[in-house]
Amino acid sequence: MVADRPVFEDLYRAYLGRIYAYVRAQVTSSADAEDITAQVFMNAYQAYARFEARNTTPAAWLFRIARNATLDHFRAHGRRERLRRTIEHQPVADMDPSGVAEERIQYRALLEHVAGLPERQRDAISLRHSGLSFEEVGVLLKCSEDAAKMLYHRACKALKEAVAMEGV
Amino acid sequence: MSDPEEDLELEALQRQLDDAFETTRPRIGFEDELWTRMQARRPAGTRLRDAWLGLIQGIREVPAVPMAAVAAVLVVIIGAGIVTFSGVHFGGGSTSATSGLSAGQYAPQASGAFGRLPSPVLAPGLTPKAANGVSQPSTTSPGADYGGPVALTWTGKLVLNFSIAPVFRYQEPSTNTADQFATSLGAILVSRPTGYMGSYETTNFNIRVRGTVQSPAHEPTFTILPITSVGSIDAAGGPADVALVFLAERSLAPTWQYTSEAVVSGDLTKVKLLRQFGVSGYGYAYLVDGTGEPYGLEVDLTSNNRPTEAIGPLPLSLDAASYPIISADQAVRSALASSPPGASSASTPAVALTSAELVYSLVVAGDHSFYEPAILFSGSFTVNGTTYVKRVLVPAVDPSQRTS
Repeated sequence: MVADRPVFEDLYRAYLGRIYAYVRAQVTSSADAEDITAQVFMNAYQAYARFEARNTTPAAWLFRIARNATLDHFRAHGRRERLRRTIEHQPVADMDPSGVAEERIQYRALLEHVAGLPERQRDAISLRHSGLSFEEVGVLLKCSEDAAKMLYHRACKALKEAVAMEGV
Repeated sequence: MSDPEEDLELEALQRQLDDAFETTRPRIGFEDELWTRMQARRPAGTRLRDAWLGLIQGIREVPAVPMAAVAAVLVVIIGAGIVTFSGVHFGGGSTSATSGLSAGQYAPQASGAFGRLPSPVLAPGLTPKAANGVSQPSTTSPGADYGGPVALTWTGKLVLNFSIAPVFRYQEPSTNTADQFATSLGAILVSRPTGYMGSYETTNFNIRVRGTVQSPAHEPTFTILPITSVGSIDAAGGPADVALVFLAERSLAPTWQYTSEAVVSGDLTKVKLLRQFGVSGYGYAYLVDGTGEPYGLEVDLTSNNRPTEAIGPLPLSLDAASYPIISADQAVRSALASSPPGASSASTPAVALTSAELVYSLVVAGDHSFYEPAILFSGSFTVNGTTYVKRVLVPAVDPSQRTS
């Protein structure tokens, strides 16, 4: 039923912030996060005619697109370089004054630690704290709901240890 | 480490994660920028089809009304659609503009969704800045304030061809909102002075962000001052374009409808972008302050087009809900009734209110504040050789929907 679908602009306004936060937790600069978020909604806009609300929730549908766009970004820009920077905590090349200021905002360091987690753990935390249910996280990560819960809890423990080591 | 302690630490971490994800948001203006880009990339046929589907759905949701009214609405909306999709924009002449979405940027609510509303009033004792009406913002010299009683009459013509008008509401911003706004400009928090949500600085300028002011009512604002390292700006078209270039370079160009005017005083030019709200069946209505003067965003320029100061409303998201409004006759009666009882005497000046127009006025109401429609009447009169201006603000929302 077409009537079951929200107007795309409503979807856009409701989810833009959450999708941006999800993406921002994966990448090292706000500029990259904006580019990927823009790509997510461009793709979603084009594909919206094919979206069927009875098969999935709008959130799960959008976050799947966001996850794919983020993975595409890593493939295009070289995940190895990103990991090296994360491990060595080197400043990123494109850090501008606004980026420096953003670093001062509370929780920025915590999200950097999330970005440093293994891919599936990072996804589990980012998707869960972006408001998805464990069932939806499981669907996106192609595992059961229980497996998604386990993955999430392992990710939280790994994050806690990483935070403790850095004293964040 | 005991399990309960570890559980507590994990719980605390999860709360921090919740906060981190909830407070991580794109910079101010990104949402509308991206939406505009997405709209621009759509084929015109798709836009027209969506507009048509939206129209049909909208009509289905409306309670039964006479078919003639539906036909009239169809004619108006289709006409507006043709104009919209042809790229033509309505506006008040060459100075009217908007840099973003107008109706689409607001989150629509059901009719009367905000409940009963407090009433807008003019701030007592404040002097109007101009001796003429607000429909044509002017640079004429300030008019004088007359504090005594007057006897009012109405000699103008007021037509209100619409029965509902939107009321807009914003939530009082937090210091976090102010910090995010400043961060989007590349500024760093310096302090939180009394009366301000924050004071921030960049290498080029300082920013202060203030919350809503109760009296005279004023929405949250940002002030950029002093601007030290910005050189002259080249822009064709005059001071307003210079100001807009300066604002756009900092993602501060208004996303709301406005008209512009420039007031020259010595070496200083003050560019005013006067905010307007769209009302279906009327057009655009100015936002007015406690004196009845239109206002919005201001940029001060030196004679060589160098910006020195900017002050404007903090970008905030608005909810909108439609409310029934009073008739023209009711508005006139209310305006005339604003004369104090027994005001008429031999020495009481007679004031003919000669013009009236729909305006919007800010009403501060705690956590949420409202932009409400009102009818602003005005007329000038002379006492002992001095010309005064009298303004009367009548709330436009039907009394049944107001708390006072």
